[in-house]
Amino acid sequence: MKTLITTASAVAALFMAQASLSADDIAPEARLAAQHVAVMTCATCHGPQGRSIVPKFPALAGQHSKYLAAQLQAFKAQTRGDPDALGYMWGMAAPLNDEMIAALAAYYGAQSPGGGSAGDAGAIARGADIYANGVAAEGIPPCVACHGPGAVGTDEYPRLAGQHAQYLLKQLRSFQNNMRNVAVMHGVAQDLKANEMEAVATYLQSLR
Amino acid sequence: MITRILTGNSKLWAALLSAVLVAPAAQAVPSFARQTGMACEACHTVFPELNHFGRIFKANAYTIDNLKPVRGVSATKDEMLALSGLPPISLMVQVSQTSIAKAIPDGAALSQSSSVAFPQQISLFYAGKIAPRLGAFIQLTYGNDAGTIGIDNTDLRWADNKLLPGDKSLIYGITANNNPTVQDLWNSTPAFGYPYASSNANVSPIAGTQIDGALGQDVAGVSLYAMWNEALYGEIGTYRSAKQGAANAVTGAAGPLDGTTSNVIVGGAPYYRLAYEYLWGRHSLSVGVYGATFKLVPGGSPGTLQGPANEFRDNAEDFQYQFIGDQHLFSLAGTHIREKMTLNASYGSGADNLYNDLTTTRITGNYYYQRKYGATLGMFSTTGSLDASLYPATDGLTPPDGPNVLAVVGSANGLPDTKGWMAELNYMPWLNTRITLQDTQYTKFNGGSSNYDGAGRNAGDNNSLYLLVWFNY
Repeated sequence: MKTLITTASAVAALFMAQASLSADDIAPEARLAAQHVAVMTCATCHGPQGRSIVPKFPALAGQHSKYLAAQLQAFKAQTRGDPDALGYMWGMAAPLNDEMIAALAAYYGAQSPGGGSAGDAGAIARGADIYANGVAAEGIPPCVACHGPGAVGTDEYPRLAGQHAQYLLKQLRSFQNNMRNVAVMHGVAQDLKANEMEAVATYLQSLR
Repeated sequence: MITRILTGNSKLWAALLSAVLVAPAAQAVPSFARQTGMACEACHTVFPELNHFGRIFKANAYTIDNLKPVRGVSATKDEMLALSGLPPISLMVQVSQTSIAKAIPDGAALSQSSSVAFPQQISLFYAGKIAPRLGAFIQLTYGNDAGTIGIDNTDLRWADNKLLPGDKSLIYGITANNNPTVQDLWNSTPAFGYPYASSNANVSPIAGTQIDGALGQDVAGVSLYAMWNEALYGEIGTYRSAKQGAANAVTGAAGPLDGTTSNVIVGGAPYYRLAYEYLWGRHSLSVGVYGATFKLVPGGSPGTLQGPANEFRDNAEDFQYQFIGDQHLFSLAGTHIREKMTLNASYGSGADNLYNDLTTTRITGNYYYQRKYGATLGMFSTTGSLDASLYPATDGLTPPDGPNVLAVVGSANGLPDTKGWMAELNYMPWLNTRITLQDTQYTKFNGGSSNYDGAGRNAGDNNSLYLLVWFNY
């Protein structure tokens, strides 16, 4: 009984916490604190205002806040297990509370995305085709179905436009081998060939 | 041999010799990983070389802490205590074997040409956060050459940061440390520059500049630093002598320093550093300058801390390039140190010239594949003005005790020049364990290529092959 009550309170607390932390409802002090953390700590890897310079680290500028918050919660809970999540973000997210997570997500969500960068034209064309149409022969669905036209994403599905190809490739491989355990993306990526992954990543990186 | 030099000849020269015999530096501390919850690669390309994040972590006084601390907060919400849940303790063990090309004379015979060091060095670190905004890197080392435990590289620092308009950052702080450049953020300056580890069983060259490790662990310095936008770094500070274990002859208490101590800084020795780092894609490049002016009274036994001082004016440039890919990592670092000496104290006794100069250049390239297999190639060169008393050929004893030729360690022609190459193969079975095979080749040693000591030894006789197993945990 005691366990049940504790669990029920924890669930209630979680809902209350999340309910009170919509992007519009973040206290000015929390916004300022998050801006400080973003500039002083996150920016060292993720670049100024989330416009990442180093391709190993994902660009965060303009990413959907809900997606970012969900990822930070997953790092904190240690449920996102791709190699860099484990090596970097499990530690960095550990001390963040729900309010800080929401405020950080809001900070990056409000930044304007950086420009994409050009790549091999052939790969971009092939990647654009896979993104729009999938690979029917291999049972791979079109990416656009979830990530949307222009790869701008939604609250649930991340923005991919302009993201570093190196980061995207690593994620696709992590979905494929289930180190990053997301059923939908495992289903999509499990049959993707290396050259197809590279083409899609090159295409997405080129988008502005 | 060394005792003889100390009593028989230039105290300055003896101090120079002891300076280049200091134990190699090391920085690679798993307690930082435990404190931040981040793997080694977050801060290092491959330990001990820092990447951009590692440099910022250091500038922030080692305080990024992702463990749940033991906290104390005042009624006005001031943070009064933030103790790490785990003490940030690390251990480092180095075991090694050194083979010298030609054995060193041992009386009338020869010593063994190879030495096993088990261990060469064991270090205990306190490396991590002490309090909010305050952190430390403190190293206690047992070295098999010293046979005792002593203080090694130490850097205590306080840092804070400010959010500037346009989301720019300003990090500023104070460091108290015991080795000029140990506080530096790049691996192109001496204290944490290449070689990251080297044998203590090989022959050390006769000369090195003061800022190049000569005063490490014998001084205490305080400096103020600031870093703008994680790019522009400036630092000014001053160093004083703080010899370890010196007991006062009258009171028996530790210090104050007296004339039994050699090479004591007069007043404060000013230190400066300016560097700029630029990041693009997987690349980073830093360029900078640093330097210090040391006025040293020779002191020694017997000696005095009064009277004229030798002045060493060191100015240096450095650069570091890093490429950090997922599979391939490459870095190139170098420094060029110019030392101008004005030997007011030693001129006429331990030195023939009032003015001497010494120039050291080092460039090193490192390649790693998957942070597992590595190769390093480096060149080093120290050249300087001719001074047969400063870089002597004999011990200077008067008949009938001498003069005796300083075999192996002397310079027959009075030049300090030493040049050569180092090549290294590295294997890292785990990110905190390294196996190194290091080859050192001298083309010139203590002024000459052949018979450099006047006793028949050639520069190449000091070539060495060094096998090191290095653990950090």
